[in-house]
Amino acid sequence: MTDTPPDGDSPDLDSCVRIGSIVSSNSHLDYVVEVYKERDCDRPPELHEREFGQPVFIKKTVNGTEHAVMGVIYDTQLVDPDQGRTGPRLAQDDQAQFTPGYIEERTTLAGVALLGTAEISEDGAIQESTHQMPRWTLEVEDTVFHCPDQVTVSFHTVDDQIQLAYMDRLLDIAGDLGSEVIVALIDRLRGMLPDDDPNQRVLDVVEQNVQWQAREQRGMV
Amino acid sequence: MADRSDVVGTVAGPGDDPNEFVFVTPSDKSIKTGEFITYTVSVEGEPRSVFARVTNRELIRGLPEGFLADPEVGPETVAATLGVPTDDTELYRLTATVIGYYDTNMTTFANPRQLPDPGTPLSIAPHQQLETVLPNLGCETDSTDVTTLDGVAHVGWLLNRPAEATNLHIPTEEFASTHLAILASTGSGKSYTASVLIEEMMRPSSRASLLVFDPHGEYDTLAEMQGEEAFQGADGYEPDVVYYDPERLSVRISELEIGDVMAVLDNPSNRMQDRLSTAWRSMQNRESRTWGIDALIAEMEAEFGADDASVGALEWRLRRSIERNDLFHPEENVPLDEIVDPGQCTVLQMDTLDRRDQQLITTVLLRRMYRERLDDVRNRDSDIEHPIFALFEEGHRFAPASGEAPSLGVMRTITSEGRKFGFGLGIISQRPSKIDQDVLSQCGTQISMQIKNPNDQDAIKNSVEAAGEDVLRELPGLTPGQAVVSGDAMNTPALIQVRQRRTPHGAGSRPVIEEWREAYDERQREPTQSESADFGEGDSTGVQSLD
Repeated sequence: MTDTPPDGDSPDLDSCVRIGSIVSSNSHLDYVVEVYKERDCDRPPELHEREFGQPVFIKKTVNGTEHAVMGVIYDTQLVDPDQGRTGPRLAQDDQAQFTPGYIEERTTLAGVALLGTAEISEDGAIQESTHQMPRWTLEVEDTVFHCPDQVTVSFHTVDDQIQLAYMDRLLDIAGDLGSEVIVALIDRLRGMLPDDDPNQRVLDVVEQNVQWQAREQRGMV
Repeated sequence: MADRSDVVGTVAGPGDDPNEFVFVTPSDKSIKTGEFITYTVSVEGEPRSVFARVTNRELIRGLPEGFLADPEVGPETVAATLGVPTDDTELYRLTATVIGYYDTNMTTFANPRQLPDPGTPLSIAPHQQLETVLPNLGCETDSTDVTTLDGVAHVGWLLNRPAEATNLHIPTEEFASTHLAILASTGSGKSYTASVLIEEMMRPSSRASLLVFDPHGEYDTLAEMQGEEAFQGADGYEPDVVYYDPERLSVRISELEIGDVMAVLDNPSNRMQDRLSTAWRSMQNRESRTWGIDALIAEMEAEFGADDASVGALEWRLRRSIERNDLFHPEENVPLDEIVDPGQCTVLQMDTLDRRDQQLITTVLLRRMYRERLDDVRNRDSDIEHPIFALFEEGHRFAPASGEAPSLGVMRTITSEGRKFGFGLGIISQRPSKIDQDVLSQCGTQISMQIKNPNDQDAIKNSVEAAGEDVLRELPGLTPGQAVVSGDAMNTPALIQVRQRRTPHGAGSRPVIEEWREAYDERQREPTQSESADFGEGDSTGVQSLD
């Protein structure tokens, strides 16, 4: 586990930052991830590494081939087991250390929507990426990794053409925040592509469409 | 219909109108508006092909307009990015109006009064079937080889079909007896279409007796029909094209009616009109038909006295308007048997006559011919013992809506009665709104071409019964050479491309730029006056002879 996210031409999928582990799922494509804290691993993710719209992947070996199941953080939720309990608290504002209760068990959950899959090649890069719905089920405690930018771009590029073919499914899973997660993804892709890339304009059109539709649905226009 | 390979769409359900239904086609079956489609229904136990015309086409499934936001990014690219399939995904919803099935007893369309059920397969109507049922040919089956029929005029082919795929042959008899109107704005091909019809009528299978009133001299290329193989009959028939130039056109004075004379005189007073009509009547009651102005004036003087002021004024007017006009002659007349004959097309070239003279000669000729036709039908002696068809270029000159033409009366009579006497008229005009409505409404067959002027469109709407809304909608969008044929010669209106003429066309616009340049070059070649200096000619002595 390295301290810094890898950057370079071929990022090593083995050395990516771990974001958390799966704790439950809402559907075949919609998983709940508990974000790692200080105690859970050597190097818990920093805030910007588990932000809204962050692409992630989960490694799965299927039939002897290693695959990466790609996903994106589309929602987060805070959990405080103490909240709502009756009775006085032992801890006072000025006595934070005097807390035998559950304060350490407060946690952040992240919703991850699956986008597609890709094969992981011998050298740790991804290939054969597809935006089809992943057919395999993930397991509880599967580790969710932070997806480096190069991998994100390569997952979204098919024959030099940018692809977001999972968009309709993502909009469906992400619900109210659907357009925001897509805009966040597009922003990220746009930052990674050169300014004069023809795909920039395609992304503009897609973003415009999504934004407009969302505003239309919310009754703004 | 058993074979589904020619099926182009499937009926979805009824439309808004009682005769309308809606069907759906995928994008690869490109069906144009105006296309004829067919389906089978059972009428009295027999399967019948019902024809319908496609009237509207709209997209029901296709890429959203948001994909078109950036002109430099194709919608397919956006679709590919989002993983939206783009191959043949468009679905079209088309509206069609039922025309009916071809009733072989009535030889026209009959409405089945029943829309196709949802799911009924539809196919494009076959060429030969359309060729048989669209024109009013009276065929006894719904699929005949119409080229073998006699007396049909091949005017062109259906516009929605490939060139010469579905040819339209209209029955010559129908439009020649119930009159014809060719309405189109300038440059959209009215004289071209008229020439196509003339060619067809002069073919061996029709051998018409045709008279063309040509105020512009546009029909001078028709003579090339003579010698063309397509116009020669197996029995040695060949069309005869006769040109009558203005010098050969004359009107015998006694053929004029009092109204005609009034029309050419300058502003006659009431008293003059009275004097003239009395004298005219008594002249016409005479045995001799070859009297002139002198005899007429003598008659007036005999009746009202030589010193009558009105008679004097009339004499001056008559001599100026009639006697000095070469068109009028005491004796000579255009011989009818020379200008009408079966297999003969006579072109009356009136391009050097002024409008009033054109109207007068037309009036007198029509009146005489109508009289002869009347005599023939009533079994009296007649110079014209066969039906005739007269075509009027610039028809609004001869039957103007303003009523200011001596020919209007006889034109009205012929269009309303001529059918019974075998006298057909064809009116060609670019200003339907300026044609007398009575005359226009009696033209049973109409060939309408591009017309953009709203007044003219209204005139067609008001006077042409067969012009339905869908025909009128087409008019502004037609390009030269395209026409809507409707009326008695058709079972249902059709949009056609007029066929190529066999003879060259003579009435196109003049090549103005070319003529200007030629004229300019001509001027440049002429010696100018400043070029008078003479070097080296005449007796000038050269350097050597100085020695």
